[in-house]
Amino acid sequence: MRINFGISWDYQTHYNSVHIYFPLTTPTIVAHPYNYLLFKALGRIIMSDSEARTAREEWGSRFGFLMAMLGAMVGAGNIWRMPFTTGENGGGAFLVAYILLLYLIAVPGLMAETMIGRYTNNGVIGAFKQVLGSKRAQGLGLVVLIVNVALMSYYAPIIGWALYYAGHSVLMTFTQPGFQPQAFWDGFINNPALVVGMHTVTMAGLAGVLVFGIRRGIERVVKWMIPLLVVALVAVSIRGITLPGGMEGVAFVFTPDWGYLTRGSTWVAALSQALFSTGLGWGIALTYGSYLSRYDDVPLGGGLFTAIGNTSIGLLAVFATFPVVFAFGLEPSAGSNLLFISMAQVFPELPGGSLWAIVFFVSFFFATFTSGLGITEVAVTTVSEETRLSRTGAVLASCGAIWLFGLPSAYSSAFLGRMDFMFGSFGLPLATLSIIALVAWKFGPERARVLDLNRNAGIYVGPWWNPVVKYVIPVVMVFILGYGVYSSIGTSNQRLMLLGVAFMAALVVVSTVVMSVVGDEPPSGSAAVPGGDD
Amino acid sequence: MALSTLTWVSMLVSLLLLPGVAAAVLVRSLRTEERKLALLREQDDVDSYSPRALSDLREWIRANPDDPYAPIARRRYNECVRSLRAIDEPHYDWSDEQIARLELVDE
Repeated sequence: MRINFGISWDYQTHYNSVHIYFPLTTPTIVAHPYNYLLFKALGRIIMSDSEARTAREEWGSRFGFLMAMLGAMVGAGNIWRMPFTTGENGGGAFLVAYILLLYLIAVPGLMAETMIGRYTNNGVIGAFKQVLGSKRAQGLGLVVLIVNVALMSYYAPIIGWALYYAGHSVLMTFTQPGFQPQAFWDGFINNPALVVGMHTVTMAGLAGVLVFGIRRGIERVVKWMIPLLVVALVAVSIRGITLPGGMEGVAFVFTPDWGYLTRGSTWVAALSQALFSTGLGWGIALTYGSYLSRYDDVPLGGGLFTAIGNTSIGLLAVFATFPVVFAFGLEPSAGSNLLFISMAQVFPELPGGSLWAIVFFVSFFFATFTSGLGITEVAVTTVSEETRLSRTGAVLASCGAIWLFGLPSAYSSAFLGRMDFMFGSFGLPLATLSIIALVAWKFGPERARVLDLNRNAGIYVGPWWNPVVKYVIPVVMVFILGYGVYSSIGTSNQRLMLLGVAFMAALVVVSTVVMSVVGDEPPSGSAAVPGGDD
Repeated sequence: MALSTLTWVSMLVSLLLLPGVAAAVLVRSLRTEERKLALLREQDDVDSYSPRALSDLREWIRANPDDPYAPIARRRYNECVRSLRAIDEPHYDWSDEQIARLELVDE
């Protein structure tokens, strides 16, 4: 087989990135700037033994990776959940608990997840396969994959809602005379064709980005969406704070009520927010980390920046929403309704309301869409690695499956709520436990730390990291799972809780059985494969 | 509405510990990458572990010679030592004395 290739120098970034084109092969290999050393050995890469080998794609720039991580972790929850959770749990006192847990648990956890992705250079099933070495154990990777697909199946309709509102903000619907926010929302959510249509457009949009791959797809989009999201939130914050009565919202959120620090519910709320809003254990950090080059840092960007940056955007959302909520006397605990009904009624009354509506709803759409990219990429990467499908085929298969499974959630908000309860309360802790257990209990934290985490790292991670990853995070996850069960007993959610627990137990069993039948045999028999990217 | 001193302190500390730290980390991360790339362009190679990190790795190799991951650990250790000997300017804070004391381990 003969392959023609050409080389071009890309000055889009300030680095001399090398694009290597293989016109006769499907994938275009795009090398990271760090990999120009690899490029020196191009001849060996291109044609050895008459066979073309394609290098795994890598992030084009550090900024692109950081924005992708941030975009994936910043979602709807940061904008409609964090402000109210903060205000409801003692304001500044909650923030103390939250920041403490964020640095103690979320940052080390994200370091572990990103590291195992970078080390194995694989998606979720491949990472489990490489580290655990047995076909059966790959079932845990399948669990993470299924939880992600399930989660995305009900998150995609929410992105569709955000897209609908962003579109109407551009059409200036919210500032039209006689606009009724409740009627507008009811008209939308009770129109199955419209909601399913937006769900379809969302999945088509995600597929349209993902099909271009990591660098030309995800990175190209997040590099401008996330900075614009931050600028938009800062702008809305300034507008909100300067409204008459806006500072009352700031006082509600930030005035500490230290008594809350003695309440267990405050710490549980802080734990949940610190773990789930940072996206720890969803497989996203593992997947995005698998596209890092050997020269890339993990702990500073994948751990510290992702967790702190994500929460910073949550804090910006506090400034963007609560001053407006208090200035207009809205109900601060309205959750998703706060955005789609309460906030929509504010804009007609604001000077320049049309513009502020565009800024607010388009930035909310960016937050949800970039999360959708991250969650869906977990499936795309895994499908493309574990099947014979090309990247395009994997994108179509993953997005098609998510679209199909998402139809009930798009059709019925009640179904969406039940899915959120089941997978948010039990599926995500299970996925997080699986990934953390992979690093902490199989790979081993000390081995992970000395071998890979501190390699090319921007900060040195000391031995304190080991017990946090090995004991603290798993105990916390088990506690959250147990607390979810305990707090549902005797409530209207009890039946759903039992269903959720049974479903997750069945998921582990079935996934294990399925992978022991269809999984790939590890190359060296039952022994774990050391792997690494050298 | 005037905010209390406590509210101001709470808000400013939150801003410092979250967006402040995030911005500082972002800048540091981007600058580190820029420096690493410049070194790679100039020297074709760069050291992959800091002195403390390489010392940890060496200790681990000594303590776990038969670990299944020991071969890759030794390879990475030696790779870093060879890089440090070959390059003029290390990325991490290595002194000439520290580099001179480094020895390769048997692979």
